Amino acid sequence: MSARDSDQVLLLVSLAAALLLTLMPMPEALQAARPHWLVLVIIYWNLEGGRMRLLGPCFLLGLMLDLLSGTLLGLHALALVILCYLLERFRARIRFFPPWQQAAVVLALLVNDRIIHLWVVGLAGEGWPHWSWWLSPLISVALWPWLFLLLDALRRRQRVRKSP
Amino acid sequence: MNAPGSRFEFGPDLAGRTSRLMFYVLLAIILMSLDFRERWVDQARASAGLVTEPLMLLIEWPYQTGARLGEGLRAHRQLLAEARALRLDLARVSADLLVLEELQRENAELRELVDAGQRVDIGSVAAEIRRVDLNPFSHRVLINRGRRDGLVSGQPVVDTRGLVGQLDEVFLHSARVILLTDPDHALPVRIERTGLRTIAYGSGLNAQLRLTDLPMNVDLEPGDIVLTSGLGGVFPAGLPVARVGSVERPVGEAFARAELRPLGRPDRSRYLLVLDRVSGPEDAQELTEELQEALREELLEEQPSTDEDPADSAPTEPDELDEEFDEPAAAAPAPDPSGQQS
Repeated sequence: MSARDSDQVLLLVSLAAALLLTLMPMPEALQAARPHWLVLVIIYWNLEGGRMRLLGPCFLLGLMLDLLSGTLLGLHALALVILCYLLERFRARIRFFPPWQQAAVVLALLVNDRIIHLWVVGLAGEGWPHWSWWLSPLISVALWPWLFLLLDALRRRQRVRKSP
Repeated sequence: MNAPGSRFEFGPDLAGRTSRLMFYVLLAIILMSLDFRERWVDQARASAGLVTEPLMLLIEWPYQTGARLGEGLRAHRQLLAEARALRLDLARVSADLLVLEELQRENAELRELVDAGQRVDIGSVAAEIRRVDLNPFSHRVLINRGRRDGLVSGQPVVDTRGLVGQLDEVFLHSARVILLTDPDHALPVRIERTGLRTIAYGSGLNAQLRLTDLPMNVDLEPGDIVLTSGLGGVFPAGLPVARVGSVERPVGEAFARAELRPLGRPDRSRYLLVLDRVSGPEDAQELTEELQEALREELLEEQPSTDEDPADSAPTEPDELDEEFDEPAAAAPAPDPSGQQS
């Protein structure tokens, strides 16, 4: 149980950090292509930590992101709920994929997320986004292994410190 | 957040999960349509600002401390040079101000002569753009003034070159500015050279506005200055908005289009000025009454003015109407110089 408790802290910290990183100022040219930190962190916790597996928390996180970034209320929530559903549906399979295949799945999920965004943005009558907007999934996937290793290392360290 | 050993660990329970997905998807869609169609969610957003605002301040904090440290480390000589430059600037500006005061007095006398109402002095609050990136679709920035400084939603925001946008959501210590370039934003404008009134829409691109409903024979050239028209009662009349970049008259379309380059560039300067809203609803009422009167006069007189330029016969009539309509709006303020130097 103590491992789970220590995970809880790390989970909350990593989610908060992801939210903050999403709003971090970036150079104008890279703005549209900012990595989708929150999705990466959620995927990690679902696959490796066995957390964030219910739709409710994902929905709430999405609402939070909407409020913070000033998007249409419910846009990120919708995208995250669908992501969470897909992740949960294929979780057993994805977990035992080799790393490169797992990365491919992450890419697919991120592209799916973009498509949902595009759909809503299209319905709301806003213009087609800049092409660099599609770079975001690629950049996110490039960051995925490092995030994975980082969170894994943090979790292991915390567990070692807690256990004796 | 989720109980360990929930039923997810065992059987797939697909039907239940799918129905829950449908529930959340429906909820999200309802929220989005409420947010998009009506502004019912505004209240919820405002109260959520209590939670989200501290987070935004937290994001900005490292940048602020960084800037403060940088200031502390800056060389003495550099500061002196800057102070000298600023003093020169101040001298120049106060000379300008003298001329302006003279003009103001003259204006007041003239106003007394024609028995017009006193010009309203526009108050302003200086603000700095917070270093927080919001989403790439909406063109919005966050500034470091809020309800505590007496700001309310809808106030116009300018920088030293021109109009930038208007306040959208106001939190306690910060406010969100919706920029002119936001695809949701429409601004009533007037072409300075011809006096033509139209509406400038945000394009969603940086540094570009669009005029989409111009008549084909419109007298508009690249380089023309576009000002606010003061209609709509949100923006004072006569604020510089943009310069016309290009005009195209696509074959087979009903309207000509023009592309504007906004003069105010919030991506270049970090300091903005929030102006007071000038005309309340009473002014709008006055305007409409004035307009109706003008219309009635126009109908009574029925002057045959078409012989002046037969090519433009269609747009002249509404233009003349607008001229009379505009008088009270133009009389109210000419705020840009006084606003900038206060």
